[in-house]
Amino acid sequence: MSVWNYLDVFTPQLLLIVFALLMPALDYIFKDKRFISMMALAPLVAVAAALISWIFLDIWTPPESQISLIDLDIFAGLFMLVFVSVGIVVVLGSPEFIKNDKNQGEYYALILLAITGMTVVAESTDLIALFVGLEIAGISSFALSGFRKTEKRSAEAATKYFIVGGFSSALTLFAISLLYGVGGTTNIASIGSVLTTSTTPWIIDSHPVVLLAAVMLMAGLGFKIAMVPFHMWAPDVYEGAPTPISGLLAAASKKMGFAAFFKIFLVAIIVTKTDWDEAVAVLAILTMTVGNLIAVSQTNIKRMLAYSSIAQAGYILIALPVATQYAVAGGMFHILTHAFMKSGAFMVVAAMGAVAVGEKLEDFKGLSKRSPFLAFSMTLFLLSLAGIPPLAGFSSKFVLFSSAVEASFIDGQEWMIWLAVAGVLNSALSLYYYARVIKNMYMEKGPAEKVRVQPMLGAAISVAVIMVVAIGIYPDAVITACRHAGETFSGLVSGWP
Amino acid sequence: MFEGVPIVSIIILMPLIGAVCTFLLGRYEKYAKWVALSFSLVALILSVLVALVFMIEPDSTATGYHDGRGFYNFQFYESASWIKSLGITYIVGLDGIGLPMFVLTTLLSTLSILFSWDTKLRPKEYFGLMLILEVGVLGVFSSLDYFVFYVFWEIVLIPMYFMIGVWGGPNKDYAAIKFFIYTHIASLALLVAIMAMYFQAGVNSFGMEDIWRAGQTEFTKVFQIAAFGATFFGFGVKLPMVPFHTWLPDAHVEAPTAGSVLLAGLLLKMGGYGIIRVAIPTLPEGADALQIVMAIVAIASILYGAILCLAQKDLKKMVAYSSISHMGFVLLGFATFTQLGIVAGVFQMFAHGLVTAVLFMMCGVVQHHCGTRLIPSLGGLSKKMPVASTMITIGFLASLGLPGLVSFAAEFMVLASMYQTWALWLFLPIISVAITAGYYLWALQRSMFGPMTQKIDTAHVHDISWFEGAPVGILIALIALFGVFPMLIFQYIDPAAKIVLGLLGGG
Repeated sequence: MSVWNYLDVFTPQLLLIVFALLMPALDYIFKDKRFISMMALAPLVAVAAALISWIFLDIWTPPESQISLIDLDIFAGLFMLVFVSVGIVVVLGSPEFIKNDKNQGEYYALILLAITGMTVVAESTDLIALFVGLEIAGISSFALSGFRKTEKRSAEAATKYFIVGGFSSALTLFAISLLYGVGGTTNIASIGSVLTTSTTPWIIDSHPVVLLAAVMLMAGLGFKIAMVPFHMWAPDVYEGAPTPISGLLAAASKKMGFAAFFKIFLVAIIVTKTDWDEAVAVLAILTMTVGNLIAVSQTNIKRMLAYSSIAQAGYILIALPVATQYAVAGGMFHILTHAFMKSGAFMVVAAMGAVAVGEKLEDFKGLSKRSPFLAFSMTLFLLSLAGIPPLAGFSSKFVLFSSAVEASFIDGQEWMIWLAVAGVLNSALSLYYYARVIKNMYMEKGPAEKVRVQPMLGAAISVAVIMVVAIGIYPDAVITACRHAGETFSGLVSGWP
Repeated sequence: MFEGVPIVSIIILMPLIGAVCTFLLGRYEKYAKWVALSFSLVALILSVLVALVFMIEPDSTATGYHDGRGFYNFQFYESASWIKSLGITYIVGLDGIGLPMFVLTTLLSTLSILFSWDTKLRPKEYFGLMLILEVGVLGVFSSLDYFVFYVFWEIVLIPMYFMIGVWGGPNKDYAAIKFFIYTHIASLALLVAIMAMYFQAGVNSFGMEDIWRAGQTEFTKVFQIAAFGATFFGFGVKLPMVPFHTWLPDAHVEAPTAGSVLLAGLLLKMGGYGIIRVAIPTLPEGADALQIVMAIVAIASILYGAILCLAQKDLKKMVAYSSISHMGFVLLGFATFTQLGIVAGVFQMFAHGLVTAVLFMMCGVVQHHCGTRLIPSLGGLSKKMPVASTMITIGFLASLGLPGLVSFAAEFMVLASMYQTWALWLFLPIISVAITAGYYLWALQRSMFGPMTQKIDTAHVHDISWFEGAPVGILIALIALFGVFPMLIFQYIDPAAKIVLGLLGGG
């Protein structure tokens, strides 16, 4: 009884971990590997269903958390939904892609563990839990990107990711220790309250230390979200990793970084916002611009998508300096839609890789004739990424950019309009390289042979397509949920703008 | 007649359903043109009915908006909540400015589909995209919520990008992407302006009427100037205005004929419509401050477009540049801020839609039958294609403003309103009338009359086909009809223009 009381809000993670540990055993017992992927799908679908029935259907509400390390509020719930949804798409897309590989059980186990780590970060109310989550997800992802260990590119990706990831963890941990030193607690909200309300002179004087922590966090978490100038690893890793895993990294792992970013910057050290907001704004604009500019010259579609997701991270970063409830809602919303469009796009690449078509831009030539389904889905994902209505990416960019416009009406924040301007100009720039892929698919001639899409990959892509279109046409429910998230989030610490 | 029937939405839905049907045809794609034609024809018939009902039995309970200075009277008003959390409502309705454009859209779409009757390359995609384009343009001309307006505005880009990119001429890649990005950047300026207006108005609604109303007290002068600048840029690129016109010749020259017809006939009108529906009424003080900029840009477009026409060797490129010149008249009419000018501007949009459709269709006919549109390679075609050359002649004469044809009434009124506002500065735009007559007649002489050309294989040149002739014939009949009876359109525009003027504090 008492144990379960403590584990209430930990149930999703428990479920995921149990299944993760089962995976290698199932791999040993069952010869049909598709069954394993089904078993990996089960906990993800269960958690997703539970979250949807709570957030959107309002059938039940999670219990109050009995432990101080994690809590399941709507902000965490939405992030978890992003992670498990991406997990579903990735697991659906995997069997065909890795059908000739060994150790498939471990593959799914690692995916489940990575998602467990991400959900811990989303739920964490404490810096220690947050760090543990980051590490669980990080280590699983390192192993996953090196899953094809005999393949040079994959091994290189894993090594690079591991070294950079380790360094970023160290920086994050250092920052956490500094925050602990100043705040005297590792609870995120408490640090926020102490820094905001304390009248103790030495705490007020310790703002430079907090700022030092902020800088380290920008670097440490900046690696996770591939923020310029800490983005160098991303294209190499996304290119080298198995394609479904690239999808997982771009659509989910990166979002975990944002969950941590939001929690620390907008709750724990929100009081120093005026000191770091301009720096983050500059980094946001740099990130989107550099990502888009470099994406233009890519010839490998996975690298192009990698740079595009760097750019998308730049858009999401707008929410940090703006820091209103509406901006957090916009950031959340874009995180959610980006998860579907980006994982969907990677699954299209995976579907082509599965039948050995290749992942260069030229390989997309004439795809509309070879597989109308893939070409049409890819077109929707890319147009959505570019922010063309009435697709999901437009709605979320609309909320996100308009939050910057709203904030610019406040005295002293007029410069924030430039965040929106940079965002829309970058959207136009990004259209150039997205349109090139669409052009290759529809306007160029390619080989005549058809591309067959495996049913599970087809299902994964369909899920993403449906979400991109449905959220685009009827975003109200999601926007409402995101705004709730913004409200609960700002309630965590007093003195929120 | 349409009480309780969401007729505007039904008309917008028609081509959408048609598009879905054409895409689903699969192996039977040779029937795509029939499906497309029937759905667009239904939309055309319904929209003409709407136009008749609008005038004959006006909806007395029409939901309108009263601001003390003017009364917007939208008929066939529909409203349904869409994204509650942001105050976005699906609102459509038609007034005297939107309605002529709305009918023009269904008309030109239907005729373009008929004109493309022998399209062999991927017919189901071709006709499907044309229908989606129609959906977008119809939505732009009828939506009364900024968000919905913007969604429709952007939807238009995608089918046009594909039409240029797939069915276009030799340099289609460049033209398609240039069109897409150029006009998309302009749309984004508009988007930022819409967001700013939404927050500045502070009524948690994207409804045009709500923002108009709130804007009268909430929008400061500085804000209005900035927002007007952004929206004016957004709409002006579409118009297009000098110096943001360079996407237009490329797009036009490469686009297939029906694409050019829709591009010049409808897409350019979206720019003009946006200025008179969104920019000027919502931001009157901004418009007032930038009036002179509008006028200078308009006159520059009129003259520069006309001069460029003189230098063109390609018949289609010449027509494309003439659009810049003629759309300059639209902007000039609006910039005068007079009743006459606004009516004339809207009427010029309608007139140009009809006339330019004839011209582009005839360029397509020449290209199709002679294999080239280069004026130096043509000559003496009137002997080989008497019907076609008669139609071209009528089209050119209509475009240069021959009295009795539709453009004359429109351009004459624009110039008259210019005189009301700026008196003798009128001499500037009036120069273009001479240049226009010059380039059209010169082109006519070189291509249609004179000795038979030796540069092309004239043995196979035959006259216009029925499916090409029919739409052009219908358009020419309308050009003559509205040229003689411009009141038929004025009676719609006039009351609506009075209201816009009321918002400007004049009239």
